[in-house]
Amino acid sequence: MTIFLLNIGFGLVTASVLSLLSVGLSLQFGVTNFVNFAYGSYLGVGMMLAYTFSQTLHFPFWAAAALGTIFTGVVSMVIAEGVLEPFVRRRKSLFYMLIVTFGLSLVLDNLLQIFYGVDFFQYPVAQSSPVTIGPFSFTTAQLEIIAIAVVAMIGVHLLLSRTRLGKAMRAMSDNMDLARSSGIDTKNVTRWTWFLSGCLAGLGGIVLALNIVSFQTNSGETLLFVIFAAVILGGIGQTYGAMLGALVIGMVTEISTSFISSAYKQDIAFIVLVLMLLLRPQGLIPAKGKA
Amino acid sequence: MSLILGYVATLLVTFFTYNIFVIGLNIQFGYAGILNFTVITFMAFGAYFYAVFVMPHANNASQVFYILGLHWPWPLAMLAGVVASGALGYLVGLIALKRLRSDYLAIVTLATGTLVYGLFGNNNKLFDGWSGLFNVNQPFQSVATNHPNEFSWIFVVFSGVVMLVVWLFANRLYASPLGRSMRAIREDQDVVDSFGRNSFKVRMLAMVIGSVIVGIGGVLTIQYIGALSPAGWTTGETFVVWAALLVGGRANNLGAIVGSLLVAVVFNEATRYIPQVPSHPNLIPNLRNVIIGGLVILSIWFRPQGVLPEKKASFLEVPLVDKYAQGFPGDEPENALSPAASEA
Repeated sequence: MTIFLLNIGFGLVTASVLSLLSVGLSLQFGVTNFVNFAYGSYLGVGMMLAYTFSQTLHFPFWAAAALGTIFTGVVSMVIAEGVLEPFVRRRKSLFYMLIVTFGLSLVLDNLLQIFYGVDFFQYPVAQSSPVTIGPFSFTTAQLEIIAIAVVAMIGVHLLLSRTRLGKAMRAMSDNMDLARSSGIDTKNVTRWTWFLSGCLAGLGGIVLALNIVSFQTNSGETLLFVIFAAVILGGIGQTYGAMLGALVIGMVTEISTSFISSAYKQDIAFIVLVLMLLLRPQGLIPAKGKA
Repeated sequence: MSLILGYVATLLVTFFTYNIFVIGLNIQFGYAGILNFTVITFMAFGAYFYAVFVMPHANNASQVFYILGLHWPWPLAMLAGVVASGALGYLVGLIALKRLRSDYLAIVTLATGTLVYGLFGNNNKLFDGWSGLFNVNQPFQSVATNHPNEFSWIFVVFSGVVMLVVWLFANRLYASPLGRSMRAIREDQDVVDSFGRNSFKVRMLAMVIGSVIVGIGGVLTIQYIGALSPAGWTTGETFVVWAALLVGGRANNLGAIVGSLLVAVVFNEATRYIPQVPSHPNLIPNLRNVIIGGLVILSIWFRPQGVLPEKKASFLEVPLVDKYAQGFPGDEPENALSPAASEA
C-alpha cells in the first residue's frame, strides 16, 4: 500500500511534466490544425540550451532554465515562420505538412547530436535527500516541478480566458475563417502560438531532465507518443482536455509500476491511446471538426 | 576483382531490397494515402520472425535468447516472416484506419514503432535484445560452397526475381479496380463512400499489402546479411525509404526504382567513404540524416510529384481540366494543367 501511495506521488510529478508538454502541443494543434511531429525534438532543444546556459556559461540554474525556455520558443517560432508557414501558405495538404514536420524531427535530432554528442548530461543542481509529505516522498526538484507546472497551467488559463491573444487563439481554434473575418490578425496570433508552444516544450524538456536527472539529447523523443496519448485522451486541440489527459496518463503510467515492471510503463500509455482511439477517438472533451 | 564483384553484388541486393520497401510504402502512401511513419518496423518484424522460424532452438549455454527457434525450412520461414509483418499491419490498421484524420494514423504508426523498438530492445528474451540475432540460417548455403561470392550472386538473382514479382504485382494492383478505389480514397474518401465502396476495407487492404511487401524486403535483408539488431532499424532508416519515395515520385513504381537508386544506393554509398572524424565518430551518420530529412522537406517544396510523376489518367472524350484533374489535394494548381493532362 505504501508503494502504491508513493507511486501516486510520482504520478503527480509525471503528470506535471506531461501537462506542460501536452498543453503546448494541443494549443498549437488547435490554432494551426496539424500535428507537429518535431515536437519531441523541441524538448531536446530546451534541455540542452538550459544545460549550455548553466554549465558552460555559468548562469544560475533558474536563469538558465528561463533562458532555455524562451529560446526554445524563439526556435519554434523561427522554424514555423521559416519552414512550416510557407508550406501552409502554399496550401500543402495535411499529408505533406505531417511529412514535413516528421522530416524536421530527424533534422533537429541529428543537429542536436552533432552539437552535443551522445553523452549523458546532468544539470549542476545539488541532489537533495527526499522530503516526506504524508504518504508521499519527493525530492526538492520534484516539488519544484509540480510548482512550475501548477503556475504554468494557471498562467495558460489566465492567458486563454483574460487576454486578447488568448481569446484570439480560442477563436481561431474554433473557426479559422470566422476569426479572420472578425478582424483577428491570424498571422500574428499563429506566430505567438508557435512561440508559446515552443516555450512549453522547452520548459517541459527542462523539467523532464530535472526529473530523470541524467539525460541525452534524445531523451524527449520517446516521450512524444506519451504526449500524444495525453493530448488525444483529452480531445485533440482542447487545452483543458490536455491538462486532464496529462493527469490521467501520468497517474496511470506511474501507478502501473506497482503491478508491473517500470520498463513497461510507456506501454501502458500506448494501451490507453489505443483504447481511446477505438472507443472514443474524439477524446474526453471533444472539439468540433478535429477528429 | 572478387572483392569488387562482392561489393557490386551487395549494392545490387541493397538496391533490390530498398526497392521492395519503397514499393510497399508506395502502395500505402502513394496509392491509398496512408501515412506510415514506421516503415522500418515492418521490415524488422519480417526479418525477426523469419529468423526465429528458421533458426534452431535457442541454446541457453551461448547466452543468446530468442523465442520459438523452430528450425523450419527457409521458404516456410520466409512465409512466416511475411505473415507476421502483414499481421502487424492489420493490427495497426484496426486501431487507426477508421474514419479518423490522417494525423491519428501517423501517430499510431509512430507510437507502434517506438513501442516495438523499446520492447524488442529492452527484452532480451524475445529477439536477444540490443545485441540482436546473428548466425541466421541463409538460403542456398548448401549449393553455394565453392566461392564466397557465389552466395552473393545467387542472392542477387533471387532478390532480383522477388523484386520483379513484387514490381509486376504492384503495377497490376495500380491499374486494377482495387487500386483505382485506393487512389480514389486518397483523393476524396467521402466520394468513394457515397459510391458504396467500403473505404475502410480498401484502406486496410492497402495497409496489409504494403506491410507484407515491406516484410518481404525485411526477410531478404536478414537472409543476405544473416544478422539484425535494433541499431539496424532506427527512425533514420524509415526516412531513407520516405526520401526515396518522395524523390522518385509517389504513386509511380518506376519512380520508386529511381528513388531507391538515388537515395538508398547512390547517396548512401557516396557518403559511406567520407573519412570519419576521430573526435566525433557520429558526425557523418548524423549529417547524413540531416541531409535525408532536408531532402524530404525540399522535395515536397520544389517537386512534390517527384522525379517521375504519377501518370495522369487520360480520357479520350473529356480533356482533364482544373478541378477534375487528379492529384493530391494541395498540389500546385499548374500541376493540374501539366502537359500530360492537357494533351489527352
